[in-house]
Amino acid sequence: MKRFNSNQAFSGWMFLAPFLVSLGVFFLWAILRTAWFSFTDYNLFAEPNFVGLENFTSLVLDELFIFALRNSISFALIVTGAQTILALLLAILVNSAARAKGVARTIFYFPSIMSSAAMTLIFLWLFQRQGLMSGMVGNFVNLRWVILSFFVIAIVIQLALVAMARRKYIGVKLFDPYFLLISVLVALISAVIIRMGGFVPVYDEKLLISWLNTREVFLFMPRTLWSVALMNIFTTVPTLMLLFLAGLQSVPISLYDAAKMDGANVFHRFFNVTLPSLTPVTFAVVTLGLIGTLQMFDQVAILGAAAPLESRVTLAFYTYYNTFPPGGSPNIGLASASALTLGVLTVLIVFLQRRFGIKEKLE
Amino acid sequence: MLKSLGKSLLAVSALAVFSAVSAQAQTVKVSGFGGSDPVVVNGLLNDVLADEIAALGIEVEYAPTEGDYSQFILNALSAGTAPDVFYTDIFWSLSIFANGQAEPVKNMALSDALIPSLVDAFTYEGQLYSVPKDFNTLAVHYNKDIFDDAGVEYPNNDDTWTSFQDKLTSVQSSIDDVYGVCVVPDYARFAAFALGSGWEPFNADGKTVLDDDFRRAFTYYTGLVSGGAGVLAADIGEGWTGGCFGSEQAAVAIEGAWVIGFLKDAAPSMEYGTALIPMDPETGDRGNLIFTVGWTVNAASEVKSEAAELIELLTSEKAQQWVLEQGLALPSRSAMVDNAYLMGETAEQKANLAVFQGASDGNVLPFFFGELGGAWMEPINSALNSVLLGEADIDAALAEAQSRFDELQAD
Repeated sequence: MKRFNSNQAFSGWMFLAPFLVSLGVFFLWAILRTAWFSFTDYNLFAEPNFVGLENFTSLVLDELFIFALRNSISFALIVTGAQTILALLLAILVNSAARAKGVARTIFYFPSIMSSAAMTLIFLWLFQRQGLMSGMVGNFVNLRWVILSFFVIAIVIQLALVAMARRKYIGVKLFDPYFLLISVLVALISAVIIRMGGFVPVYDEKLLISWLNTREVFLFMPRTLWSVALMNIFTTVPTLMLLFLAGLQSVPISLYDAAKMDGANVFHRFFNVTLPSLTPVTFAVVTLGLIGTLQMFDQVAILGAAAPLESRVTLAFYTYYNTFPPGGSPNIGLASASALTLGVLTVLIVFLQRRFGIKEKLE
Repeated sequence: MLKSLGKSLLAVSALAVFSAVSAQAQTVKVSGFGGSDPVVVNGLLNDVLADEIAALGIEVEYAPTEGDYSQFILNALSAGTAPDVFYTDIFWSLSIFANGQAEPVKNMALSDALIPSLVDAFTYEGQLYSVPKDFNTLAVHYNKDIFDDAGVEYPNNDDTWTSFQDKLTSVQSSIDDVYGVCVVPDYARFAAFALGSGWEPFNADGKTVLDDDFRRAFTYYTGLVSGGAGVLAADIGEGWTGGCFGSEQAAVAIEGAWVIGFLKDAAPSMEYGTALIPMDPETGDRGNLIFTVGWTVNAASEVKSEAAELIELLTSEKAQQWVLEQGLALPSRSAMVDNAYLMGETAEQKANLAVFQGASDGNVLPFFFGELGGAWMEPINSALNSVLLGEADIDAALAEAQSRFDELQAD
């Protein structure tokens, strides 16, 4: 019996060995080396000399590090929040699609299969000062009165149609799809007539918006990173949508049936059945989101000279920037201190989220 | 009998094996940039210098590197896997030289044969560490058809900032959707004007002071856009002045000879000419930067003498003449200054001549910023960007840049 147990233990260790070795070499050893270098003046060539807390003091005194810290934290909070909400909404939309569910999932998942580098280059093009995004915003601003007319007409017609229908029939919904289609079509034709007839002012201002190449700060994050956030959300939401979709499909139908019988409307069912049931998935999505966004590097690295350094620097990029400063000697000590700070910050934020935010299990 | 025959055979075999081993060529590993550079190096190694390399009894193993070369070589040197011979760009040369990774150049005859300013650029603490293979400076390349259509005189070597701007403004106002020049918020181009003003990047104390001369150049350069002589390159979807020029959206480009190869691909039928950088009307001087790359022997190489001999071949007159005639780069040897090729009449030859002359006309400095490296340029680039985007006025931008320099260079 004892021999059997020892054989079993040996087999177990053998199965674990590849993972333990890679974990030991690429994580434990690497983190210990990084920790040691963070207390030295190592520059890749000379023997490292112990310098105490000098690198950490330099970090705090370096304005670029402060920018990086601010950018990383704000980017992580904004992107994680936005992508979680959007992924959930998208999952609900796809899950409730009556037809062509597979096609809908494929289309929505498509942005996630693009490589980050390719997607960044596409967005660089979209975000040019005279690019597509500026053009769209410019059109919106120049045609604001026409667009407003469209919405006003659509709303008025929809309300009128619903009101008329409710006189004859019971249970006509405010957003009845057939009435909505008619309202939108009529509003669209009216807006075209309004535009052609010159009934409302149409402007011809050429808007030049610096989406990336700017030092402007909006709220507490550089405008550059807001643009990067948009790109990041676009590419990560589909993957997170799949997680929520899996979660949604495991929620028992009986719960919804019971809620319906208790008179719960669609919002009650969402907040009292769907959201609580998805707690473990939401925890995973938020945790993965925080870790991923805090370590964001590739997109700002590809931006390169297209944006000022202080507007795009994140903690991961700051580490890289000090490892290979353009034209300068590697500053591995400072880079290691920065990498260590990022690691500790990531653990801390994930811990705080778990402690005060969304829990792993439904309580 | 059989026994003695066997012994003889054995001896002959052993001798043959020994001879083969002793005659085996030493392998010298060489690395260089990716992109179009392998065409040049392969041409030299396999065609132009093949006989000489064979005569040296060495075998060259050449492996170009795509991507960021400085990162590759720093990593490789640190890990002990670097090739015997590698490129060193003047921009990041200090990190190689100051850390003892380069073998000093011992051949004094070779260093004496090189253009002195290039030797100075690669000299660290009185010792030459790299053999400059070629160099580049900035010049004004102009599209003849655009100037003809606008009825404006071509830029020329007598242009001052004022006359140059007047020409660009006339072109821009004459032809729709064509700008005078693409302006980039980059010291690597702005320096052509800043240095012409008499401003020095580092004063006697090694500090950077953005004085009145700098301000004059800064005002002129940023005013090219607001004055109707140019456009911010990013605004028309370009990242460099050559890109705007190649797509015929700008009448001139301020670039080095590297633009020649680009134009061959991007605008093969373009009729273009080249002039020197315009002079500051106050000082009467031009400014310019020297961009240069050298061949370096790895200090840890086991075949240092063979590697040094190979570098001598790669920078020989024969090699440089071939490279020059291909229109690929300018020679680093003094003896080739009066080369007949440079006096030719083709657009490429004239462009090369202007770039060559740019190295010795006016205030010319290497594209090198000491220990700070590229971080030194950041305050200036940032100030240029802010003003060109209209996010700051000149006073505020320069005040912030000066404050950042003070912080960077604090003792």
